[in-house]
Amino acid sequence: MFRKFSSDDVSAQNQVKASVQRKIRQSIADEYPGLELVLEDLLPKKSPLIVVKCQNHLNLVVVNNLPLFFNIRDGPYMPTLRLLHQYPNVMKKFQVDRGAIKFVLAGANIMCPGLTSPGGALDEQVLEEKPVAIMAEGKQHALAIGFTKLSAKNIKAINKGIGVDNMHYLNDGLWKMQKLE
Amino acid sequence: MSEKPQPERVLYCAVCSLPAEYCEFGADFEACKPWILQNAPELYPDLVREANKKNVDKVSNKLESVGISSSRNNAKLTAEASSAGASEPKQEVKRLPGGKIKKKLKQEVVIEKIVRNKRKCVTVVKGLDLFGVKLSDASKKLGKKFATGASVVKGPTDKEQIDVQGDIFYDIVEFITNTWPDVPGNAIYFIEDGRKVVAV
Repeated sequence: MFRKFSSDDVSAQNQVKASVQRKIRQSIADEYPGLELVLEDLLPKKSPLIVVKCQNHLNLVVVNNLPLFFNIRDGPYMPTLRLLHQYPNVMKKFQVDRGAIKFVLAGANIMCPGLTSPGGALDEQVLEEKPVAIMAEGKQHALAIGFTKLSAKNIKAINKGIGVDNMHYLNDGLWKMQKLE
Repeated sequence: MSEKPQPERVLYCAVCSLPAEYCEFGADFEACKPWILQNAPELYPDLVREANKKNVDKVSNKLESVGISSSRNNAKLTAEASSAGASEPKQEVKRLPGGKIKKKLKQEVVIEKIVRNKRKCVTVVKGLDLFGVKLSDASKKLGKKFATGASVVKGPTDKEQIDVQGDIFYDIVEFITNTWPDVPGNAIYFIEDGRKVVAV
C-alpha cells in the first residue's frame, strides 16, 4: 500500500473541525483501548489535528507534522509503525517465522503458513477485517501493520494463501516519511 | 539503550532507519555493520564474534584513532586499517530496492533563461535541492528579492526546479552564494546557447 508513497501523493490536507476531531479520537480510542490513557498526549486537544488526504482513499492523521494514524476509506484507524514501536501493546499481535521477514519487508502480504509454522504465533481472538501488528520470530519490534483477511481460527484451519494484508511495513514510503509538511 | 516505561524508545539504525534488529534485512546490511558494532552489538552476537576474530576491524580502527595507539605494532595496524578504510568509500553506491544502483548526482546549480513572447523571460534554477536547500523556501526568497513570481515546478524527469519570472541572470549568482553559503560559486553554471558555462 505504501510501497511507493511520497509527499507527491498528498492531494489535500486540512485542519479538521472539532467535531470530526472528536470522532477520530473516539474511533481510535474504541479500536485501541490501551491507547486511551496516552491519547491526550498523542492528540492534544489544543494542537491542531490535520487530516491529510492521499490517493487511493487514504487518510493520514497528522499532529505536529508527525503522521500518527492512517485509514482507508472508512476503515479502522491504524497507527504508524513509529507510533506502534512506542506503544507496542496496543494492538493484537501476530508473529511470522523468520523466513517470512524478508518478504514482508518487501511489501508482501502475510501468507497463512508463515503464521502457523513453529516460528509463528497467532492471537486466537482476532476476527477477520481487523488491524493487527505483525511481529517476527526472534525480534522484539513490529515489522508491519496488517489487516486480517481471515480470522485467526480460519488461518489455522485453511492454512493456505493470504491471511493478512500488509498495510504498512518497515522502510516503505510512509516509514520513510518521518515528517510531513 | 535506555528505555522509558511509558513511550518505549526503539533504537533505530542511523544508517538505514530501521530498528537495529532489522538491519540484517535492510537494503544494505554491510553499510550498517559499523554502526551496529558501535551502538547495538548485543543484537548481533555473530557479528561481534566475527569482528573480534579479525583483529583489523572497524571497532579497533576507531579505538586506535581515539588515541590508544602507542606501540609500533599498533601503528602498523592503523596503517592497515586506514588503507582498508580508504578502499571503502569507493563502494558508496546507493542501492535502490531491487538491486538497481543509483548514481550519485553531481552537485551543481544550473541556471537557464527561457525567452517567451520575445521580450519576456523566465529564469530556471535547477539543482538547488542537491545542496540541501529547501526549494519552497528558496523560491519564496527569490521571489521576495527580485519582486517577481517564483515557483517550484516539476521539470523534466521528475526533478524539481524553481521558475523565476523575469531576467535575473546577473544578480542571481551573488544572491545564491550569499544566502546559501553551502553553495560554492564554482558549482553554479549558466546555460548559454545550449552550452554550459561556469557562472563566475
